[in-house]
Amino acid sequence: MIRAENVTKIFGSDPESAIPLLEENKTKEEIRELTGQTVGVNKASFDIQQGEVFAIMGLSGCGKSTLIRCINRIIDPTAGHIFFKHPDRGEVDITQLDEEALRTLRKQNMSMVFQHFALLPHRTVLSNVGYGMEIQGRGRRKRQEAAQRVLDMVGLGPWGRSYPSELSGGMQQRVGLARGLATDAEVLLMDEPFSALDPLIKVDMQQELTRIQRELHRTILFITHDLDEAMRIGDHIAIMEDGKIVQIGSPEQILVNPRTEYVAKFVEHADPTGVITAGTIALPLDSDKFVSAGERDGISYLHRQDLPHVRYGMDREGRLHDVQMDEQDVPVRRLEEVLEDESARPASSERTGLALTCGEDAVLRDILRSRLYSTLPVAVTNGDGRVRGLIDDPELINGILEKRGEIP
Amino acid sequence: MTDPFGFIDLPVRQVITDIVNWIVATFRDFSRTYISPPVRGVMNGVQWGLSSVPPGAFILATFVLGWWAASWRVGVFSVIAFALIGFMGVWDQMIITLSLVVTAVFFCVLIGLPLGILSSRSDRFYGFMRPVLDIMQTTPPFVYLVPAVMLFSIGNVPGLIATIVFAMPPVIRLTNLGIRHVNPEFIEAAVAFGSTKRQILWKVQFPLAMPTIMAGLNQTIMLALSMVVIAAIIGAGGLGLEVYAGLERLNIGQAFVGGIGIVLLAMVLDRITQGLGEKAPGVRDRD
Ligand SMILES: Nc1ncnc2c1ncn2[C@@H]1O[C@H](COP(=O)(O)OP(=O)(O)OP(=O)(O)O)[C@@H](O)[C@H]1O
Ligand SMILES: [Mg+2]
Repeated sequence: MIRAENVTKIFGSDPESAIPLLEENKTKEEIRELTGQTVGVNKASFDIQQGEVFAIMGLSGCGKSTLIRCINRIIDPTAGHIFFKHPDRGEVDITQLDEEALRTLRKQNMSMVFQHFALLPHRTVLSNVGYGMEIQGRGRRKRQEAAQRVLDMVGLGPWGRSYPSELSGGMQQRVGLARGLATDAEVLLMDEPFSALDPLIKVDMQQELTRIQRELHRTILFITHDLDEAMRIGDHIAIMEDGKIVQIGSPEQILVNPRTEYVAKFVEHADPTGVITAGTIALPLDSDKFVSAGERDGISYLHRQDLPHVRYGMDREGRLHDVQMDEQDVPVRRLEEVLEDESARPASSERTGLALTCGEDAVLRDILRSRLYSTLPVAVTNGDGRVRGLIDDPELINGILEKRGEIP
Repeated sequence: MTDPFGFIDLPVRQVITDIVNWIVATFRDFSRTYISPPVRGVMNGVQWGLSSVPPGAFILATFVLGWWAASWRVGVFSVIAFALIGFMGVWDQMIITLSLVVTAVFFCVLIGLPLGILSSRSDRFYGFMRPVLDIMQTTPPFVYLVPAVMLFSIGNVPGLIATIVFAMPPVIRLTNLGIRHVNPEFIEAAVAFGSTKRQILWKVQFPLAMPTIMAGLNQTIMLALSMVVIAAIIGAGGLGLEVYAGLERLNIGQAFVGGIGIVLLAMVLDRITQGLGEKAPGVRDRD
């Protein structure tokens, strides 16, 4: 939907002078000393798919706001290209658009939520939310109705007639969010939209955004300096340092495999339980920690080295056939359905009476919760039902503490 | 001692006289056919309107206006001020002066606002306007009277023309200033939603500049009032004439009554327009 190619922004009197130095991989600091120019964004490239939330995160001053402003050209990039898959006109290069085309793009296709809200102080909350639609030329009545709907959605229904200065910072931020959502633009540029909210409302709004997103499938570029937030709502995350994008990946890829020291530092304190998946931490079946326990009726059995009395039987295709404990069959259920069934929760001493299976994409948090139902290792199956591996306590502990499965 | 400047004689006097004569000769007909009638028309209309209001109703209206625009104190003050003016016997003169001020301010806004907006949008235009504004503001008011008389003869119209020129700069300056000082954050937001330059001007910049523009308007009104009084010398009527005639006949009492009337009128106008300025949209942000 949006593809950035080497987008670069240099602030200062003579931006061009810094470009060759960037090619030599000089740092922001060096360039500042040599030329007096400030590097805002340094050759950023990424590709945002339609309907995804793409989070950009990094420390204060690393160029996040500058980068997002380049996308709708509130700031003109010094170099690079930004391609946008226009719903009617195919791929357009935003950096090449003229005034008129740019305005149409901003009006119809891209809207924005600002870090410092930027609500118009002389307009009421409702008329702020309706501003984008007013520019689109929608009628007054329609505009107000739509604005009220969005305002209800962000939980500020009764505040339409107030002025921004009468609202708290967090409420103003939600008005800014409502204004951004109200125009029906395909692309939403959000610059730290939740930074001024208190922790409770913040989580609420993150869930609300995820819910809206499931309904509306906007393409969202979301800036934050909170890695947990980026992981919670981002389908992909780009990490920026000093104007450069140092890593792009899914939340789990970043968490499990931080590419630089800087990323690793961020990741260190992130909460992995909602991000890391069963597929990542499962002890793979081909590990030497598994021991074969013979074959019966075409079903081959194996067990973990350290847990000989729990046996997993698999058919020829590798699908789970049955689980036995002390040679007795144990019922097998899917983890997802058990978690929704409070009544299935047994007494503590009976948690060996049930075996669970889960998909590769089940997250750590759910697997941890499933330990309330069963303490037997969870069998991880892939798309066509084949067993990929098992998760027992060592894998869970490593997953949480080391953010990966097996310690080599 | 010999005059150290005696060896060169800059013919400034002669040159200026020639230039003014040329301007007068060239533009007199134009001014009298195209500028005088609209100014006189507006003046007559305003004066007719104001003088047809019965004084009682007039005072009541200023009370309500003062109350609404500023506070009940201002309302009460207006009542006292206008009642005093009436009891001193200069009501009709006050109405003429007020009409002159209203007319002059009307033209100041009509011409000054667009010039101010233009100045805010183009550095080049503002670069050209600045020295012009400086000259307009530093020239002593009396100096305007001579060419005004030459072009427009004597009476209310030349007085008004001189007043308009003299009182216009604050509207231009503060419109320009107000628009330029709107927080770029708000403009950025308007741009991000695809607003045109004109939409940005009318939906964002102008309303947010309103308190500053109103401050300019307040200054313009005060300048207009002071000039309208001076314009009595060239035949403008009203309270100024009262002062001027009193001084000429050494009737200090008459001159004083005119002077008190002017001060009272100035105070009422000032309080009311200041109140309006604080009511202007956009002002909510400036806390
Ligand atoms: N208008 C400007 N003129 C000059 N330098 C600028 C300008 N805007 C930003 N910069 C510089 O560009 C760099 C990136 O700034 P930017 O605002 O994009 O950071 P950010 O990542 O959004 O930070 P934060 O998390 O604090 O909002 C900073 O070094 C800043 O000083
Ligand atoms: Mg920022």
